[in-house]
Formats: sequence, structure tokens, C-alpha cells
Amino acid sequence: MTHISLDQPIAKPRALPEVVVDRIWRFFCSVRAAVVEIAVLAVLVLIGTLRGSSVPRSIADAFPIMTPLVDGWYAWDVFRSLPFAGILTLLAAAIAVCTINRAPGIWQAIAHPSVTTTHGFLRNAETSATFTSAIPAAELAAQLESALRSGRYRTLTAERNGEIHLYGDRWRFSRLATFPFHLALIMILAGGIVGAAWGFRENQFYIPEGSVRELGHGTGLAVRLDDFSEVYREDGTALAYRSDVTLIKGGEPIESGSMTVNNPLTFGDIVFYQSGFGQAVALKVADSAGQVLFDDALPLGPFQSKLNPDAPAARMDLLPAGVAMSVIAPDENPANAPELDTLHLRPGEMFFMIRPLGADSPIAEPLGATVGQGESIQLGDLSLTFVRERRFSVLQVARNPGIPLFVAASVLLVGGLAITFYFPHRRVRGIVSATPGGSVARLAPMARRDWSAKRVFEQLAADAGRRIGIEPTLQTNEPDRSPAASNQLSRASR
Amino acid sequence: METLVRLSFYCFAAATIAFVASAACYLAYAVGRVRLRRTALATDAGPALVTHEASFQPASSGIGRFATLLAWFGVGFQAVSILLRTIAAGRLPLSNMYEFSTTFVLIAGVIYLLFERWYGVRQLGAIILPIIVAMCAYIWLLPADLREVNALIPALQNQPLMTTHVSLAILAYAAFAVAFAAAVLFLIANRWRVAWLPSPDLLDDLGYRAVTIGFPAMSLVLILGSVWAYRAWGTYWQWDPKETAALFTWLIYGVYLHTRSLRGWRGSRSAVILLVAFAAVVFTYFGNYVFGGLHAYGGV
Ligand code: HEM
Repeated sequence: MTHISLDQPIAKPRALPEVVVDRIWRFFCSVRAAVVEIAVLAVLVLIGTLRGSSVPRSIADAFPIMTPLVDGWYAWDVFRSLPFAGILTLLAAAIAVCTINRAPGIWQAIAHPSVTTTHGFLRNAETSATFTSAIPAAELAAQLESALRSGRYRTLTAERNGEIHLYGDRWRFSRLATFPFHLALIMILAGGIVGAAWGFRENQFYIPEGSVRELGHGTGLAVRLDDFSEVYREDGTALAYRSDVTLIKGGEPIESGSMTVNNPLTFGDIVFYQSGFGQAVALKVADSAGQVLFDDALPLGPFQSKLNPDAPAARMDLLPAGVAMSVIAPDENPANAPELDTLHLRPGEMFFMIRPLGADSPIAEPLGATVGQGESIQLGDLSLTFVRERRFSVLQVARNPGIPLFVAASVLLVGGLAITFYFPHRRVRGIVSATPGGSVARLAPMARRDWSAKRVFEQLAADAGRRIGIEPTLQTNEPDRSPAASNQLSRASR
Repeated sequence: METLVRLSFYCFAAATIAFVASAACYLAYAVGRVRLRRTALATDAGPALVTHEASFQPASSGIGRFATLLAWFGVGFQAVSILLRTIAAGRLPLSNMYEFSTTFVLIAGVIYLLFERWYGVRQLGAIILPIIVAMCAYIWLLPADLREVNALIPALQNQPLMTTHVSLAILAYAAFAVAFAAAVLFLIANRWRVAWLPSPDLLDDLGYRAVTIGFPAMSLVLILGSVWAYRAWGTYWQWDPKETAALFTWLIYGVYLHTRSLRGWRGSRSAVILLVAFAAVVFTYFGNYVFGGLHAYGGV
């Protein structure tokens, strides 16, 4: 605590920028502001959480007057909003500033704690231990010191007015543990930003079996799906879906591997996940001159037939031929709405259709035909071969350069917390004075309204007493229970 | 149902009975004996004034010891129940609301009994055991088909991550339940100064100690949850409601810790934050009922 004494010269009025910077700095250092910021963050998170539920709806049902507010609630994507990013930034800044601000003080308490105390502190302590002895004060102090040390306490002494002041503490470095913890919070935020700025995420990367697809995103990689397999249990539930792939760079295969749900494939900092699968059709399209326009597989299933939602379908534009082509697979669920299944395709058959595309399309009318696996047909100028049925796999592909930050942050976070909580800084103060019959020492912990710390102290005093052969007398003061005191410790006392 | 699974359920039933009896004993112990005294003021014309006066006295310690014993019985039965189910399923029962809740009942019982030993505060049981009984009631009310052992869907098949993530969540919630009970008891002890309740300071500290177990566990839940999400869905954080509810809970305990360690809050203000925070825990636990999202599988 700083005290402004009246006989100090009155400070010179400061320049405005200095005042502003000082204000901002103090705002970020303020613990009250930090608590409010965390609370505001919590409220935003709650608002965002409830948005994913029916709670706002039921509020609107109960109080129709709230309807516009509730609609706005559902419409507001909290977690991608400016206020949310703002509060996170504010928190990160507050953590950083607060850390810088507190570091010297904390270091002082670790490296150079004040050794002297007052009789008033010892007298008013909620618990204290008195050792009375016939030996001189210096000797008693030395014995107490060595007893504390054998309890793994560091001890410091100082002489003042003929009395010996004693300070002992344990686990002092645990006070530093909040730094890695709070740094970790900043690192997690930074990891999120790094990931968003320098990573990418491809949620639906379709590859039919046997096909090669470019990954893009500046990776220069292409992926070939060598095989897709599903394993079912006896009861028909899915056990695993597996894709075997080969990664290709510059036309050369560079690595092969497989992935299942929960077991992604990692290549450098790129990760491939199994996400979905479906039916695909391998086909070959050539024009009248014999030039091959398409020889690959088309995934069916991302789309359905417009007429029959149970029939997987695909569509592609064949620009050089001036047509758009669609393929429709057999109805997957004939029991559902059988009247919509007008094509009556049998397993192994596909329906192919071409439509005019653009002004100078060679065809005027859509043309369609049912084709069996392995068969070829002629549609307009095009010769179409339904080579075979295939499957396709849907992968998710992500690169997240924020991961190392995230991993390091996790370790710091949990480690910092564990040290803060389980190895708290314990402190003891005391004064050893000479008496006519020898000496008396009174020790007290710095443990206001901290039941565990008082218990630890009482144990320590008893152990020390046993070691030096003096039974201490314990004295306890009932903690102050005035309403104000029962809620708050004054900050000065810590 | 398989024999082991059925046996496991019978053990749970036995544990329920033990917990109900234990809760009753804890309540009797905490409330103490209430003695109604009837005083009649006699006059010449017969009794003129009759007053009834209630006086409270501490309960015998015997009923408290009995309560603890019953709670250990409950925990024992529940441990056997979980063990049998683990053998039957070949994995820890953590994957739907039934399994998760039965494990919660066990862990909450164990954590409470440990705190009772460390602090010697039996009255806490009068708050915790009813919570455990309520959880048992909830389990009984769940659809019976959840009691069967079902195979896991592919997204849940990550044994080490699933086991640690979910069991740490249970540990955190159990510790938070103890902190909640300490806060409730604190508010009672602070308000009415009931002589045989533990000192408010001790209760305040007990609540804090419970949070120092729950908060790191909850931090790990969030971290491991995001690692798991990354393994299964390819993204650390989806802003899925269950995730954000857990984050919300974690932040509230963060507020509790800051007001405590930095602003020096103790006592009733701290206790009130603990009540709010536990409401957030309950909200997170039962969140599946309110929102869908990626955590929606799992039986409800
Ligand atoms: C505005 C941002 C924040 C500031 C300025 C801040 C500052 C501090 C400071 C100065 C301490 C005490 C260090 C000491 O006593 O040596 C502390 C402790 C702590 N903070 Fe923060 N903090 C912030 C955000 C957070 C957040 C978001 C959390 C997580 C919910 C958090 C969790 C903790 C924990 C767990 C402790 C340890 C409490 C204890 O010792 O019992 N902090 N914080």
C-alpha cells in the first residue's frame, strides 16, 4: 500500500498523454476490471450457448413481447462477433499488462521478503504459537530456525531493537506459477488466431475410389483413394470406415496410409480425417471424333435426384460438348415413397441424361437412357460407357499451425494450476525476545481466514516444539466476524 | 440382459437403498434433535397460558457414524456395480447418460467420503447425499434400454481419450458438488450460528479445496475434449453448445478463484458464487436435453 503523507511536496500536474496512458495501464492492471471482464466473457458464452438450444424460443413463447429480441438472439453468431473478439483481446491485454505489473512485486516477495514484523501482527493473528525457554534469545532463534529448516522452510532473520525477527517460508516459487498459467491462456488465443490465419480446412473433400484429386491450398499435393472399406459388426452397426490413400506430389507418389474415424492420417502438418462415404460411378465419355472428354469417377450422393430424393445423383458440365450430364442411381429406399421411383432402375443400372448447355449446344432436347454396368451407349454425339460402380470417400483435410502452441499451452495451464493449488506459498513470521528468565518466541502464520494454512502452521509449530524440546502454547483468536470482514479481507493485509 | 449386466444393476439398486438410508441419517444428524417443550402457566382458574418451545440439540454422534457407514456401503455396492459392468462391456461405463450417471454416483460418494475424513465434517453429508440420491432417482427414471450394454459408434471409439476426458469430467463435477455442499452449509452456519455445525472458516476452506480439485480437472476436460474433437472431427473447438457450456462453467469458477485470491473475498460472497457455479455444472451436465449438437449421441 502506498501512503500519501501530507508533508510531501504536492506532485506537479502531469501532461495529458501521461495521464491517459497511466489510466489505461491502471485499467488493465485492475483486478476488479479483470473479474468483470471474465464475467462478461462468461455471460457472452452463456448467450452463445443458449442460442443452440430451445431456451430462447420458450422465453418468446412465454413472453410474446420478447419475440423480436429472441429472433435477434438466434440471428447473432456470438462466437464470431466483434464484441466477443473484443473481450478476448481485452482479456489477453489485461493478462499481459497485469503480469508485467505484478512481476516485480512477486519477485520481491520471493527473493527479498521483509523479515521484520510487529508484535501487533503476532498478537492479532488468528493463530499463534509461543515458545518459552530458559536459553538466550539468539540461541532460541537459532534452534527455531533449524527446526523450520528441517520442515523444508527457508528462514531469514533480522535484528531490531534487541529482538530477533524471524521469517520462514516454503514453496515460494509457486507464486510464479500463475505466470505460465495465464501465459497459456494467451497462447491458446494466439493458437486460434494462427490456425485461422495460416491454416486451412477443407470440410468435404470427395474422392472416388481409384481417382486422384488435387488438394489445393498451396500444398501442391494430390490424393488418390486406393480403397475404401467399411466393417460392420454382426448386428449391422458400423464398426469402422477406412480409406487407404496415396499422397502424390509433382506426379510422384510420396506416401501411402490409411485413416479411420478417430485415427486420422498425418502428413507433415496436414491431417486427413475420414468423414463420410458414398456411391460413385466410373464412366468414360468420348465425342464423335473419339476424343475422350471424361474418364474418371463421379461421386453420387452429395446430390439427389430432383424428382426422387431417395436416388443419389450427380451432375457435371461437359463444356466442350455443349451439354450438362446427370447420372441417377437406383432408389436406395424403395419402401419410402415408391410412387416417386419412376425410373425403376435395378441394382447395377444407372440412368444417364444430357441436357443442352449454352446457346450453341448440339442438342435441342434432353436425352436420357438407362445403362447397365460395363455397357456403352450413344447419346446424341457422345459415346458413354458406364465402366463400373465405385465408392467415394469424403475426407476432411486440415492444416493447423497453431497446434504446437495449443499443446504447449495445455501443459503450462495444467502445470501452473497444479503448482498454484497444491504447493501454496506458506509463510511464518515471528519475534524472539529476551525475558528475565531467558527468552520467548512467538510465531504466527500469514494465513488470515485460511483454515488449511492455520492447520499447517499448528502442525509446524508442534513439530518444531518436539524438535527443540519446548511445548509451544497455541493461542487462537476468533476471526473477525463483522459483516464486512466476513466477506472480504483487506488487500493490505496480504 | 446379460447376467453380469443384470447383476450390476442389482448392485446399483442396493447402492440406491444404502444411499437413501444414509441420506436420511445424515439429515437427522445435521438437524439435530428438536425438542418441543410444553410449558403451562397454572393459575387458580386452571392452566391459562400454554407455550410450545422448540429447542435444538446436537444429534448423537452414533447416527452420524451410522450415516457414514451406510454411505460406505453405498459406495461399495456401486463400485461392484461399475466393476461388473466394466467386465461385461470390456470398457468403463462412461458412454451414455445411464453409464455416466452411475459412475458419477460412485465418484461423488468417494470424493465426499474423502473430504469427510480429511476435515471431519459429517454435516456435509446432509447436502451431498441427497444430491447423490437425486442422481440415483434420475438414473431409475432413464429409459430402461440404456441399461443394456451397447456397442460404441465410431466417433466414440477412442478408448484412452474417452476414458480420461469423461472420467475427469465426473471427477470435476463430484468435486464441485462438494464445494456446493460446503457453500450451502457455510451460508447456514454463517446465518444461524448453529453451535454444532462446523466453523464457517473451515467450510469456506473446504469449498475452496474442493474447487482446487475440480478446477484443474475441468481444465483438463476442456483440453482433452478439444484434443479428442481434433482427432475425431478435425477441429479443436466447434463452439458446440456442450463445449461452450463447459467453458461457461469453467469461467465462473475462474471468477470465484480471482475474487478469492486477489480481492480477498471469503465467506458468503464466495459461497454465493459457488452456488451459481454449481447451477452451471448442472446445466452442463443435463445440457443434452436442451440442445442438440455434436454431443447429442450418448443416449438422450
Ligand atoms: C483479465 C485477465 C486476467 C488477469 C488480469 C488475471 C490476473 C490474475 C492474477 C494477478 C492472479 C494472482 C496471481 C498471484 O496471486 O500471484 C490470478 C490468479 C489466477 N487466475 Fe487470473 N487473470 C486473468 C484471467 C484469468 C482467466 C480467464 C482465468 C481462467 C478462468 C484465470 C484463472 C486464474 C486462476 C485459476 C488463478 C489462481 C488463483 C489462486 O491462486 O487461487 N485468470 N489471475
